[in-house]
Amino acid sequence: MTLYCLGIEGTAHSFGAGVVTSEGKVLSNEWDMLKPTQGGIHPREASRHHSELGPKIIKEAVQKAGIDFGKVSLIAFSRGPGLGPCLRTTATIARTLSLKLEVPLVDVNHCVAHIEIGCLESKFSDPVTVYVSGGNTQIIAFAGGRFRTFGETLDIAIGNMLDVLGRELGMDFPGGPLIEKHAKNGENYHNLPYSVKGMDLSYSGMLTAAKRLHSEGVPTADICFSVQETSFGMLAEVAERAIAHTKKNELLLTGGVARNNRLTEILSGVAKRHEAAFHRVSPSLAGDQGAMIAWNGILQYNSGHQIKIEDSHVLPKWRTDDQDILWRFPS
Amino acid sequence: MKQMLARGAESVIYKIDQWGFPFVLKWRQEKPYLLKDIDSQLRRSRTSRECKMLTISRTLGVPTPAVYSVDLDNHTILMDFIAGTQFKQLAGQLSQSTLISLCHRFGRLIALLHAGDVVHGDPTTSNVIVDEKSRLWIVDFGLSEMNATIEMKGVDLHLIHRALETTHWDIQEDMLDATLEGYVDLLGNTAEPTLSRMNEIRERGRYH
Repeated sequence: MTLYCLGIEGTAHSFGAGVVTSEGKVLSNEWDMLKPTQGGIHPREASRHHSELGPKIIKEAVQKAGIDFGKVSLIAFSRGPGLGPCLRTTATIARTLSLKLEVPLVDVNHCVAHIEIGCLESKFSDPVTVYVSGGNTQIIAFAGGRFRTFGETLDIAIGNMLDVLGRELGMDFPGGPLIEKHAKNGENYHNLPYSVKGMDLSYSGMLTAAKRLHSEGVPTADICFSVQETSFGMLAEVAERAIAHTKKNELLLTGGVARNNRLTEILSGVAKRHEAAFHRVSPSLAGDQGAMIAWNGILQYNSGHQIKIEDSHVLPKWRTDDQDILWRFPS
Repeated sequence: MKQMLARGAESVIYKIDQWGFPFVLKWRQEKPYLLKDIDSQLRRSRTSRECKMLTISRTLGVPTPAVYSVDLDNHTILMDFIAGTQFKQLAGQLSQSTLISLCHRFGRLIALLHAGDVVHGDPTTSNVIVDEKSRLWIVDFGLSEMNATIEMKGVDLHLIHRALETTHWDIQEDMLDATLEGYVDLLGNTAEPTLSRMNEIRERGRYH
């Protein structure tokens, strides 16, 4: 019997809902992103955004899937990691739906969901994953029954670095896509701190140095170009270290920053050097959205996992490697 | 005679026989997908850094391969071939007591570096070679740095923690405990600030 899972995502500034079947068919995937008029994301404003728009987005997701609420077999929600107020709003919506529809509730790790939806799309079985977004920068691979973080940022996420820099350069939020556009016109490379430590990396020094270039009057295009080349070069190096270390032969790029074409070009070069297959998750599944939560919900539910309402408190600091991955064979 | 031993993340390692002895030739290849400015600067600086740090580390009492020649234009280093096995491959097959003893010595070697204000930069078990007499050798100093601060040493320890949890997950607690014991054994009270920095670093880059 086909299961229909309604997945609800709301860990940061985006709220999303999607319906995915147990055959892995994405029937719908609706979301909305809070765009602050100035400054960054305030957790309280983001959670208000979720509670205001959530019900409408969920209704749309169910409608566009061509089903009604009675057909939903289970509810999956992003339990963490993320911003506390956002997670709590999302979890409250999920619990309510589970009770009201009398269907099981499944708690999903946001980072794991990014990997699994990428595997569904690429048909990869065991990739090294580069997960890059506004809140996360992680190099993850499956080992010993869990997804393990081989490397991550020691300070700020790459997407956060790009957005803050964009703001500094007078761009709207999110800055990442605009930085990519300007970088195409960059001609002169300016040295920036290249900070790789083992498989970990650090972006705060680069942000400071790039701001300084701006104050010295270096053209925006050159700053964007230099920042992209340096920060993506660092990612290439840690991805390469992870591939060399784990000897895996698939490389998956996901998360909001996966939309960047230059990053994609660089990482596909890395994969080629190590004779690994490469896949960039398509934009509609790369950012934060509900379909990935729904698909992970299916995987978890089919391996016998669900959660009681009373145990479903949110986990803002939930580590990627904190969860036993029941649906994958331990390697 | 030239035999490829490994294709690492940033280099290719060959074993070559010359003058009747085995040597390692480490070649940092060009990476066409990187910006040329960045790639050539990295290859050059890391090659030169590695040579220097291999030697400096040996003067601090850490066994490292001796360097015979370096070519900064072709980005190659010719050094001693250490006959042995990567600690990474060995760790899972050792008896508990041997494992603990090796980790303890690994911790002491890292402490010797730190006592000389040097950090390794990539202290994974792939970069520790155990020879046939069970001696430990530390290799791959491309990310190594001098004049290390407590922050840099804390990162070094954090990277050991990270390497153990991703690669030796089933024995990571024993390995970490023994490594840190060896570390503290050598440094005594002066290890404390670095240890607490390690824990602090682990908490960064996470949602709060």
